[in-house]
Amino acid sequence: MAHPARQRQARTEFDRGSAPPGAARRPTDWLGGWRSLFYGSAILLVANAFLWFWNYNYMFTAGLNSNSPEFTLRYRSLFWVELVTVGVFTGVWFGWLIRTGRELVKQPLPRPEEVRRIAVLWSLIGITSLCIAIMASFWPNWDGSWHQTMVRDTAFTPTHIPMFYFWFPLAITLALGSYLYGRFRIPAVYGRGNGFPWSFFLLISAAVFEMLQVAFNEWGHSLWISEEFFAVKFHWPFVLYGWLAGGMFAVWGETILRLFEIEKTEEESESVGVPRAG
Amino acid sequence: MATTVADLAERQRRLQLKELLNKHYKWMDYKWDLVFWVTAVFVVGGAADITKLLFAGDWDFWTDWKDFQWWPVVTAFGTIIIPSALQYIQWAAWRFPTGATYTAVSLFLLSWLGRYTQWHIASAYPMNFVWPMSCVGAAILMDWTLMKTRSFVLTSLIGAPIWAFAVWAFNYVPLAPLLQPTNFMGHILTVSDVQGIVYIRSQTPEYLRLIERGALRSFLGETQYVALVFGATVAIGGYWVGQFIGRYLAVWPIKRYLKSW
Repeated sequence: MAHPARQRQARTEFDRGSAPPGAARRPTDWLGGWRSLFYGSAILLVANAFLWFWNYNYMFTAGLNSNSPEFTLRYRSLFWVELVTVGVFTGVWFGWLIRTGRELVKQPLPRPEEVRRIAVLWSLIGITSLCIAIMASFWPNWDGSWHQTMVRDTAFTPTHIPMFYFWFPLAITLALGSYLYGRFRIPAVYGRGNGFPWSFFLLISAAVFEMLQVAFNEWGHSLWISEEFFAVKFHWPFVLYGWLAGGMFAVWGETILRLFEIEKTEEESESVGVPRAG
Repeated sequence: MATTVADLAERQRRLQLKELLNKHYKWMDYKWDLVFWVTAVFVVGGAADITKLLFAGDWDFWTDWKDFQWWPVVTAFGTIIIPSALQYIQWAAWRFPTGATYTAVSLFLLSWLGRYTQWHIASAYPMNFVWPMSCVGAAILMDWTLMKTRSFVLTSLIGAPIWAFAVWAFNYVPLAPLLQPTNFMGHILTVSDVQGIVYIRSQTPEYLRLIERGALRSFLGETQYVALVFGATVAIGGYWVGQFIGRYLAVWPIKRYLKSW
């Protein structure tokens, strides 16, 4: 028997998709299933704007000498704030996904609610896509301009701290969190009985591999080349992140196929006079 | 008689397709398309940019690195991979010959954003020194090749060399004014060489010398075109790297599961 509070929470989410038309938002309304996309993207853009202005403001005044107290104040503190923020967010979000998911997975799943959940999963994947663009294009450009012109005296440089220690771990959180969402809430595609999907295996391993490559990269820089040469061989493994992220297309593909199945079931139930779901 | 049967079958198929086109779904509306095409821009552009940056970034960052020997080779290889992958995905899913162009436009938007905000605003380099290359023109031609041949093998053999030549040709237009000779402290250099000397890059390995060797300029007429042909060759290889990504990392995993660890 689930805790009453948990039951309430699960029921609230359940009801949102099955409310009668006109009384609530439909599963595919912009502010229905898709609203997570707008809220999540807005949070990422605000975080990116904050880190951009922080770096723009302090990189020349505090970011050149890692032994200075200014560097500790502006950048080492930022490093720890980033890790704690991502860590706390990951713990809270994953805890919520698993705790409520275990209750939801036992309940019947009406078709409108499943459609809404697929829209939420697409929103999470869209947010992950934005995160990839920020970490694979936006910050590497700054990393290039900084390291080709400034002499570094640390592996934790002004451009590395936001890129490697905020956006990279956040990508792992978003990829793994998207899977956890599907695992409990879209059982027809990602349920336990199906096995672990290759799509998310590739997407999650891409994010994890990228974090591991940071260690190899810094080790390489410390060993034989302190200058920055972007096309150097020990940078090449970074490209695998972009390539393995192809798994995202498989997530889109398998969920859209499920959506076709739901539409077909709905059509068949209407044709034999079964009352419409939702 | 056979023709009539074939005609009827074709007409029937068209009617079925037309019916499918006008089919009304309860939940599948334009929003799914819109969300897919817009959000995919980021992962596609990001993947294309990181691939370009790490295989050919140094040649793309600075005008004086756009040389006659390496630039046409590494750029052709580094930029064709993700467009090829998207060409496979969009052709397999919708028979759209648009994957390369979609990737090139995504890359164009993200690389200009990164170059303008990070290199120009934050690091104060002029844009005429650090502008990013564009492969939109080359991508249109490669998609056109796929549309006409309907074959990935032929597109790799014809479209990839076209890509290599077109990337160079389209980007040579903005580069050409910066290759004009000028007298700098008693030496004849190009304008881009002067940019490389005036704007300090204290951490690049080549900070003490010019990027190109004199011999390359003496053999300009030959070196450039030999490099372009070699660039076309490696572009064919890059095209198949992209096909591997599209086929086995994006489409093959759909509804496939790891049953045991």
